[in-house]
Amino acid sequence: MEIRLSCILLAATLLCGCSWFHRGHKAPSEIVAEEPQGEPSIIEPQVTRRVVKTPHIKAKDFELGGYYGVLSIQDFGTNPLYGVRAAYHVSEDIFLEGFLARSKAGTTSLEDVFPNITVVSDSGRRFTYYDLDVGYNILPGEIFLGRGRAFNSALYVMVGMGDVKFADKDQFALNFGVGERLLITDWLAVHVDVRDHIFETSLTGRTKNVDNLEATLGLTVFF
Amino acid sequence: MRRLLALVLLVQALNVGIANAAAKNLVLIVADPYLEMHSGPGRGFPVVYVIERDELVTVLYSRTDWFKVRGARGNEGWVRRADLARTLLESGEPAPIPPYPEFASHRWELGAGYGVYNRENLVTAYADFGLTRSLDVELVVQQAFGTLDDRYVASVGVRHTFIPEWKWFSPTAGLGTAYQYIQDKVPPAPLQKSNEMAYVSVGARGFITRRFLWRADWRHYVVFNNQNAYKDLEEWKFGLAVFF
Repeated sequence: MEIRLSCILLAATLLCGCSWFHRGHKAPSEIVAEEPQGEPSIIEPQVTRRVVKTPHIKAKDFELGGYYGVLSIQDFGTNPLYGVRAAYHVSEDIFLEGFLARSKAGTTSLEDVFPNITVVSDSGRRFTYYDLDVGYNILPGEIFLGRGRAFNSALYVMVGMGDVKFADKDQFALNFGVGERLLITDWLAVHVDVRDHIFETSLTGRTKNVDNLEATLGLTVFF
Repeated sequence: MRRLLALVLLVQALNVGIANAAAKNLVLIVADPYLEMHSGPGRGFPVVYVIERDELVTVLYSRTDWFKVRGARGNEGWVRRADLARTLLESGEPAPIPPYPEFASHRWELGAGYGVYNRENLVTAYADFGLTRSLDVELVVQQAFGTLDDRYVASVGVRHTFIPEWKWFSPTAGLGTAYQYIQDKVPPAPLQKSNEMAYVSVGARGFITRRFLWRADWRHYVVFNNQNAYKDLEEWKFGLAVFF
């Protein structure tokens, strides 16, 4: 009896072993199919990298504006002048500036005394110039208005050259001058300038260098 | 009522705009014991405020070597570039204060100057783009004032800088094509009002300060005309320029 029981147990064990053995040789695809459908063993972090963009610092080195004043054209009287100016500030001392302006000459004394004489035609009386200058802030500082207000300012000198178109002719002209820049705010400035335009001409008979002084008041914007 | 609503909406929109503009400014942390704020963008302006270490400072804009900043308490002033460069970002990294462009490897140049062209006074302006450290493309426009005529010259060419590392003086050589327009002043009128030209040039350039440089050039032009004979012109000029 005992032997029979042992035989049955042995047979059962063998069967189990065979079935396990058989299971061990299944095709790999079937093994995958039988794996439990739980969470994956490796956790992939779902992090998107933040791109940190540092803001750009705006440079306000350019200055653009207009001016109005008087121009004394040698031998042709003093007349109104208007123009535009643009500057680039290279350093706290040096700046480069361009000017473009126009005026209209009056009459010479000769024309006033003898009305029949015409030195320059009507169209030739237009006085137009452009200048390319380099400037230097020689006296930067503050200007005080009352007790509680201070404005940044600078006294500057300029020298440059350009073209003066007068009497229908273009002439090479040198210019130099001095000016004061008063900053009402950090972006708005008032200018008071005095400049001289020197060029060679022979309009009034002999060839000579003429000085054409201008005094102007300007308003510019920094950007 | 509608107008009032529109006004409210407009004010709201402006508010949002201002808030956005404020958010776009760079905010830095003072790392030095203190940061000095001057009343103006220049070395002589007095120090009006001081920001302590670890305080925040907002950079509004720059002018030349100076930066307009606002402190945490709303006070504003100008800070020197070198001082601001020692501050930190909120992440702890160094402040991204842009350095001046390296002179030897700058890209753009804009300048103007005086010269003599065909024995006439010359006003010249130019733009220059660096293809490599030593090879540039330059565009020049100039006006020459003579007694007999005025000339307008435009040219495009390439220029080679022999030793760009030499800061104060570096020789250059170039060649290119040009176009001149002759505006007659005194009769007789020129046979040709305009000419095409070619040129070779030798020159030099050098650094002055910050983004400022000088340049000198001598050019020899060959003028192509319809008279079966080439004409030669000479030009020299000296100019100042800004580089970016």
